[in-house]
Amino acid sequence: MKFSRRAVLAHIGAAGLSAALPVRSPAQNAYADLEGRPWFFFNDEQARFVAAMVDIFIPEDEFPSASQAGVVDFIDLQLAGPYGRGEGLYLQGPFPESTLPTQGYQLPYPPAELVSRGIEEVEGGQDGIRLVDRDLAGREAFVGALSGTQQSPVAGGFFDEMLKLANWGYFADPIYDGNRDYAGWRMVGFPGAHAYYLSFVDKHNVPYPVDPKGIAHVPGEGPAEFLETRSREG
Amino acid sequence: MAARTLPKTDVVIIGGGWTGLAAAYELANNGQRCVVLERGRYRHDATYFAGPGEHDDLKYAHQYEHMMDVSTQTLTFRNTPEQTALPMRRLGSFLPGQGLGGAGIHWNGQNWRPLPQDLQMRSFYVDRYGEQFLSDDDITVQDWGVTYEELEPHLDFFERVAGIGGAAGNVGGEIREGGNPFEGPRSRDYPNPPMKQPIATTLFAQGAAQLGYNPFPIPSANLTAAYENPYGAQLHPCTYCGFCERFGCGYYAKADPIICIYDRLVGHDNFEIRFNAYVMRVDKSSDGKTATGVTYVDEDGQEVFQPADIVCMCAYSLWNVHLMLVSGLGEPYDFRNRTGTVGRNYAYQTLAAATVFFEKDILTNPFMGAGALGMAIDDFNTGNFDQGDLGFVGGGYIGSTQTNGRPIAYQPTPAGTPGFGLEWKRAVRDNYNHSGGVLLHGSSVASPSNFLDLDPTYTDVFGRPLLRMTFDFPENDRRMAAYGLERVVEIVEAMDSVVSYATVNRAGPEQNYSVVPYQTTHNTGGAVIGTDPGTSVVNRYGQMWDYHNVFVFGACLFPQNLGYNPTGPLMGLAYWTLEHMKNAYIPNPRPLMDA
Ligand SMILES: Cc1cc2nc3c(=O)[nH]c(=O)nc-3n(C[C@H](O)[C@H](O)[C@H](O)COP(=O)(O)OP(=O)(O)OC[C@H]3O[C@@H](n4cnc5c(N)ncnc54)[C@H](O)[C@@H]3O)c2cc1C
Repeated sequence: MKFSRRAVLAHIGAAGLSAALPVRSPAQNAYADLEGRPWFFFNDEQARFVAAMVDIFIPEDEFPSASQAGVVDFIDLQLAGPYGRGEGLYLQGPFPESTLPTQGYQLPYPPAELVSRGIEEVEGGQDGIRLVDRDLAGREAFVGALSGTQQSPVAGGFFDEMLKLANWGYFADPIYDGNRDYAGWRMVGFPGAHAYYLSFVDKHNVPYPVDPKGIAHVPGEGPAEFLETRSREG
Repeated sequence: MAARTLPKTDVVIIGGGWTGLAAAYELANNGQRCVVLERGRYRHDATYFAGPGEHDDLKYAHQYEHMMDVSTQTLTFRNTPEQTALPMRRLGSFLPGQGLGGAGIHWNGQNWRPLPQDLQMRSFYVDRYGEQFLSDDDITVQDWGVTYEELEPHLDFFERVAGIGGAAGNVGGEIREGGNPFEGPRSRDYPNPPMKQPIATTLFAQGAAQLGYNPFPIPSANLTAAYENPYGAQLHPCTYCGFCERFGCGYYAKADPIICIYDRLVGHDNFEIRFNAYVMRVDKSSDGKTATGVTYVDEDGQEVFQPADIVCMCAYSLWNVHLMLVSGLGEPYDFRNRTGTVGRNYAYQTLAAATVFFEKDILTNPFMGAGALGMAIDDFNTGNFDQGDLGFVGGGYIGSTQTNGRPIAYQPTPAGTPGFGLEWKRAVRDNYNHSGGVLLHGSSVASPSNFLDLDPTYTDVFGRPLLRMTFDFPENDRRMAAYGLERVVEIVEAMDSVVSYATVNRAGPEQNYSVVPYQTTHNTGGAVIGTDPGTSVVNRYGQMWDYHNVFVFGACLFPQNLGYNPTGPLMGLAYWTLEHMKNAYIPNPRPLMDA
């Protein structure tokens, strides 16, 4: 089967959103090249929904939007892995109906299940029009209405989870396939994982303009293309 | 009954963190055979924490790779005794450790001493303002039963073990410029010089000085020079890499229990450590006067009984209290009748802060950071100012730190900025390199309705009831935080180059304590030290009143929490206890104080 993630996400383009396709930067690492692979966790519909939602959280301006920076791929990988399965989460019941906000997350679902259920629930709610079929203002209103929502515990938990994941995906090290071409790090000026500031920290108000470098960067070499071990299809 | 009983050892130590490894070092070198049981795995700075792999913000800071696994064991939480406690399903407000080194590998390294009056908090306030001052509020503040003069040599020794860098403010009564003039007299200077300071913390210090306060560098376990500690460990200078709190340090530049203690002990004939050894309970003798050892689940899931002459509880404050409760050691606190002591006087830390936005020519380079990098004033800590008209006890230091600029969490945005969208994105980018912070790190008084006990509903994977925490900020601390935040704002307004600021008060009006946002891993009390068995679990030597061969370590000993981070004080107490074990208890095992 010929499969293109880019093609799936292209469908999310709507009036006011950038028509530009997510541009794939040179691979930074072994994970970066996912184009020829099916989603690990999502189906195409879910991927489109997530792309539309995270691009409301982090829209395109002079810097890429979330989906342009690989955030959908990031979330897909996270939900397919130990994090999505609920590693590090205490999931024993009972799960009472009424909980205090100070007690934190109290749903019986690990993150992957929360996201699937959340998409299903919120797509069915509001006025029945799917998120990707709305124009920009409609998408903003749709996502805005979920923020701080009392609509239902699942919708509220889902919104918080998605905002967290989008933020992680935009700013985490590119080895997790978000933050492509260091979009998030370039935006703020974060130099990354190779950090040694002993002789600089007390130089006041002096810029530190270096190109960001992630964990997979090997000092003295260019982009770590040699780490690209996976074969390319499609 | 445990499936298997092992040969007896002199000392069994529960937990391989700061206190457990210090106990093992001192007692093994005193001739006792020590077995340390650590629930987590082996790990080491050189092989596990090396950069750049360790500099993975997602994995360590946000997915808690170095911290305890709450799917195995967690606690339940509620704000008040009328509510139903529910499990803390993921980590948040505090991040306890698991594995060699405990939380000591992912700490910040801000290393304080208690003030002399901290250790005599009740007598100090009663002397100064009269009995009424404390009884106006329903708070159970008490004296520690050990004085600053008694602890000083041990506080000093830990500063040497960890190679603390700082500027002394009071050496033998002589006040020194540039240090903390309020600190108790120290026998000598810090072993290392203070850290270098970036612009943001410098602007704070200048603002505070202009108001007549006394800024000084925060005492730091991020090393400032090549250093050899008293055990012979070699440490290196900190690189200000900004991956400190929540990370292990592969540079050997943040003092931790692995490089400072474990490496100098491993191989000693009297020392053995077992990993993946999860202690279930402390076992008691039939006469009810001593413990016989501990039962743990080993890496194959088998229960094992380890007999021992002495049990050292070093499992971190919360889990020490949990172990006492599930083992039936001591009398559990009953808040309705105010009887019992185990679980009583649980306290936390009270935080209020301002994020400060500077002019655009101020470049803060926030990614150049270290866990203990910063400046502070102590003018508003417990008893350092006149509180007669203020109606609260306690206080805190006010400081400005620059710990990291890791952008998943470091997103300072001005008040009123939305939480997502174009405006948010713009604000994150515009302010990232032009912001700083000023924090009140406030104390936490003990109150009768804040306590630890066992949950009636939820269990851990071993089937033991979970620890149940009941906590909210007492009125006293809400007044303290409001007052402290006013002082924070005054300083911010006196600082140069400030455009605006945004404040947050965790103990503000209508704000209940929440286990969700990270605050501090400074959980204190529940097994407090003292001289009266009616109000303490251990005597002034850290020895349990009820079981004289059980010694307790860690912040669970604090009768109320200080306006400081806890590790300096709790390690001072640990070395004090160890001295009395070596010199008084081991030669002649008995209760060291009459009940
Ligand atoms: C993010 C962070 C930042 C911090 N920053 C500072 C700071 O700047 N300044 C400061 O003073 N303090 C700081 N602290 C607190 C500091 O880490 C603790 O005070 C210190 O580690 C306590 O030492 P301990 O020996 O009591 O516990 P730990 O060092 O946590 O060791 C306890 C050990 O016991 C083990 N254990 C628990 N239960 C069992 C069981 N049932 N069986 C077997 N083993 C068990 C645990 O796995 C752990 O390894 C910070 C903590 C965190 C998490």
